[in-house]
Amino acid sequence: MSVAADVREQSRARYPDEEGYVERDGVRVFYEVYGDGEPTILLLPTWALIHSRHWKLQIPWLARHCRVVTFDGRGNGRSDRPHGAEAYTIREFAADTLAVMDATATERAVLVGVSCAALWGVVLAAEHPERVAGAAFIGSAVPLAPPLPERTVYPFDERLDTDDGWAKYNLHHWLTDYRNFLEFFIGKCFTEPHSTKPIEDAIGWAHETTPEVLADHDAGIDLPIGGDFRELCRRVRCPVLVMHGDEDALHSHARGVALAEATGGQLVTLEGSGHFPQARDPVMINLLLREFVERLP
Amino acid sequence: MIAELGTLEQSRARYPDDEGYVERDGVRVFYEVYGDAPTTFLLFPPSPISHSRLWKAQIPYLSRHFRVVAFDPRGNGRSDRPTSAEAYGWWEFVADGRAVLEASGAQEALVGGLCDGGGWALMLAASDPAAVLGVAAIAPFVPRLTPSHPNYRLYPSDVPLDTDEGWAKCNVHHYRRDYQGFLEFFFSQQLPEPHSTKQIEDCVRWGLEGGAESLILADEEAPPPWASAEEARDICRRVRCPVLVIHGDLDNCQTRERATAVAELTGGTLVTLEGAGHLPQARHPVKVNGLFREFGESVAPPAPKVKTWTRALSRRRRALYVSSPIGLGHARRDVAIAKELRQLHPDLEIDWLAQHPVTTVLEAEGERIHPASALLANESGHIESESAEHDLHAFQAIRRMDEILVANFMLFLDVVREENYDLWIGDEAWEVDYFLHENPELKSAAYVWLTDFVGWLPMDDGGEHEEFLTTDYNAEMIEHIARFPRIRDRAVFVGNPDDVVPNSFGNGLPGIRDWTEQHYDFSGYVTGFEPVADREKLRDELGYRPGERVCIVTVGGSGVGGELLRRVIDAYPQAKALLPELRMIVVAGPRIDPGSLPQQDGLEIHAYVHELYRHLAACDLGVVQGGLTTAMELTANRRPFLYFPLRHHFEQSFHVHHRLERYGAGRRMDFETDGPAEIAAAIAEEIGREVDYAPVETDGAARAAALIAELL
Repeated sequence: MSVAADVREQSRARYPDEEGYVERDGVRVFYEVYGDGEPTILLLPTWALIHSRHWKLQIPWLARHCRVVTFDGRGNGRSDRPHGAEAYTIREFAADTLAVMDATATERAVLVGVSCAALWGVVLAAEHPERVAGAAFIGSAVPLAPPLPERTVYPFDERLDTDDGWAKYNLHHWLTDYRNFLEFFIGKCFTEPHSTKPIEDAIGWAHETTPEVLADHDAGIDLPIGGDFRELCRRVRCPVLVMHGDEDALHSHARGVALAEATGGQLVTLEGSGHFPQARDPVMINLLLREFVERLP
Repeated sequence: MIAELGTLEQSRARYPDDEGYVERDGVRVFYEVYGDAPTTFLLFPPSPISHSRLWKAQIPYLSRHFRVVAFDPRGNGRSDRPTSAEAYGWWEFVADGRAVLEASGAQEALVGGLCDGGGWALMLAASDPAAVLGVAAIAPFVPRLTPSHPNYRLYPSDVPLDTDEGWAKCNVHHYRRDYQGFLEFFFSQQLPEPHSTKQIEDCVRWGLEGGAESLILADEEAPPPWASAEEARDICRRVRCPVLVIHGDLDNCQTRERATAVAELTGGTLVTLEGAGHLPQARHPVKVNGLFREFGESVAPPAPKVKTWTRALSRRRRALYVSSPIGLGHARRDVAIAKELRQLHPDLEIDWLAQHPVTTVLEAEGERIHPASALLANESGHIESESAEHDLHAFQAIRRMDEILVANFMLFLDVVREENYDLWIGDEAWEVDYFLHENPELKSAAYVWLTDFVGWLPMDDGGEHEEFLTTDYNAEMIEHIARFPRIRDRAVFVGNPDDVVPNSFGNGLPGIRDWTEQHYDFSGYVTGFEPVADREKLRDELGYRPGERVCIVTVGGSGVGGELLRRVIDAYPQAKALLPELRMIVVAGPRIDPGSLPQQDGLEIHAYVHELYRHLAACDLGVVQGGLTTAMELTANRRPFLYFPLRHHFEQSFHVHHRLERYGAGRRMDFETDGPAEIAAAIAEEIGREVDYAPVETDGAARAAALIAELL
């Protein structure tokens, strides 16, 4: 399983037509723009574990039909890595998104996100309906259904006398053996057999950041957003597509079901899929995204 | 070209849920409503040259996804035939559509139209934008928008001509002399695709319902809606809703320029159908249905529904078995094949898309019937509606089932798009086979075709015309297979090469036997049961006493058999007199009411006999129709039998007869000439006779399954 992280980026199928930085409170965020079709699809960042290359299987095709904007979330890729939980709140990610939209002259976009991207995606769709034409969420890490029981056994901050299973999701273990955590955690992202390449990719991207950043990001996500998340979901008026693997080992399928229900969106269950189907079953995800975009009013 | 035009409407695939009339200025217009989906799809009729049945291939499908409202134009169908030219002004038809929409209870609708109807749909959208969500127009006729089709400029339409060749028939004086001749010419031009005989017949029939005067008033004498090309352009520009224009590049009525202009001026999308004529909704219904639905759903998206997509390697192995419901015969052999298939692939799940009476067998066997089966249009009922006294013109009955076949194919398509099947099996599933070859891009699984006969054959009294038709159908099938060999991954003939008739497919076409040997695998016959080992024991089990001579009279699962049962019942007293030990048992079957049959002393009549094949195996004589299944059950069990092919039933008359001859099985009777006396005599001669039939193989199901299993 163990592979050396290759620092050299592999050839892309499509290179951006435009790239740049936005800066907010001294934090620089790197974005890319592909194509010039209609509408704009904004591929959101997720947890700082990985960066915008997690959309590499979507960008080339979507960019032939739409305009695609994506950016590295703060904490990874070519974006800055600020310190402290306050720099990584849900609202900071939402504000970065708006800043990237402004910088790229994107008045309105379809938001697409994986995992915790649904947190800032819902905030944006609920609070900025004029800028969000639709929202599609994959493997949503939303607090609308309980976390998986195995993820609640061990505390994150305390030193543990085991590193068995989810005990690896622990600050001290991260600082001691980050790679070991990554192999476990990213392995959990891909429950599908024959996933070596997407696992290697993600491990490589995860090595572009540090455990300290991830800990800050986790703490930032937990800071209050000034309202109830479920209430925010109910305020979403744009069309919503929720895709969720029924074998998602990070965030239960029930969370996707609840998100679709709360936003009045359409649920597509991906049977046999794990947490990152956009990397593992790119053709179906691409087709679902395009169909969703084409059906927007 | 048209031999005879029956007046009776053929079975529909879907009947309206509601119907009614709107009346404007004393003119009554008839409309129908189908389904109850949230979005209404209003279908404008064409000009009085036809009526709302022109949409028969669309309505059953669209009404599962939209609420469909269709109406007959003034001048045809069940609408009035006003006699003034003003009553046929273009805005009158538009206003009729508006009134029908309102009467149906809809505020707004998607609007479809063809030719004139396409123009009316656009006019409604331009004049009442709040009522129209979107316009789907096939070959729209917008007068004066562009020069009319060159065909219409060859001859003047209103002065007497000294010729009626070709387009000279498009003339008021010719209409009055020979309207049918005009219609036959006109629609053969509008359906230039080869193998369009049925669609042309339909259009001629519908045209005759309107008559020449309606068309003359509407086309020649009614005031034009506007005077200039600029006004025509203005109407198009005023359409603000989404527009879809469909146009066949072989259209002999509306030009490509006109279709292009409509699309450009309305900002609509033009879809060109290459190789298609003026009536693609009739000749290419699957394509047009897909375009209409896709357009409708893009304009008015349906409510979100939960969907599931399953990763390829997480999928269970699944097959969809489509079993023809015409007669009970296929059910048992298909179940036998399915069982053998599960032996070879124990993880295989089989769903059945099937209808009564096949479903009675499937239910008894615990097979899984796909819930969409309930939505299949009724084929058995249609076949019964096509039959008369011991008479079923099987070829025409299949032709007149065209609407049902389209509807059932569309249902099949919805099912296989929603669910992942690895394999489709069609046992004489004509709709699946035909429309896959017509729309080869829709094939998305392995596909197996099974049949027990190949080749449409004309009956002797059908004359040249019937020969022309069967040849045309055979030719299209041969072209389909030659052009798209990839559609049938297996073609299995349920029988042996010697069972194939020695006839030709028709003039200029190959011999059926040679062609079939080249294009089919042969499974041998599939009886669906084990032959009886100990007949005496079986007789004992079934309650047949020693010394009794048991004669079983059955017409299988068909409802087309009451006359034969009555004739044999009439023969019973004479037969009993010749043969005192005779015990006659009449089985009415699932589709004939036993109470409708006459009773005789000593005669037994049953509605249904469980495991009838066991009784046939035990009997001393069978008296049956000419259907393959029952005759072969008797043959396999080496029982003597009398069989009466249905009149005009080419399959029973030629294909089954040929096969039974090969086995040396059965005594062919003739319903025309054999009365009760002849039947009684034949019963007495044949009953209990030792037979020397060629043996029937018992491994047919396993061989068929082995051929199919390779695809999984």
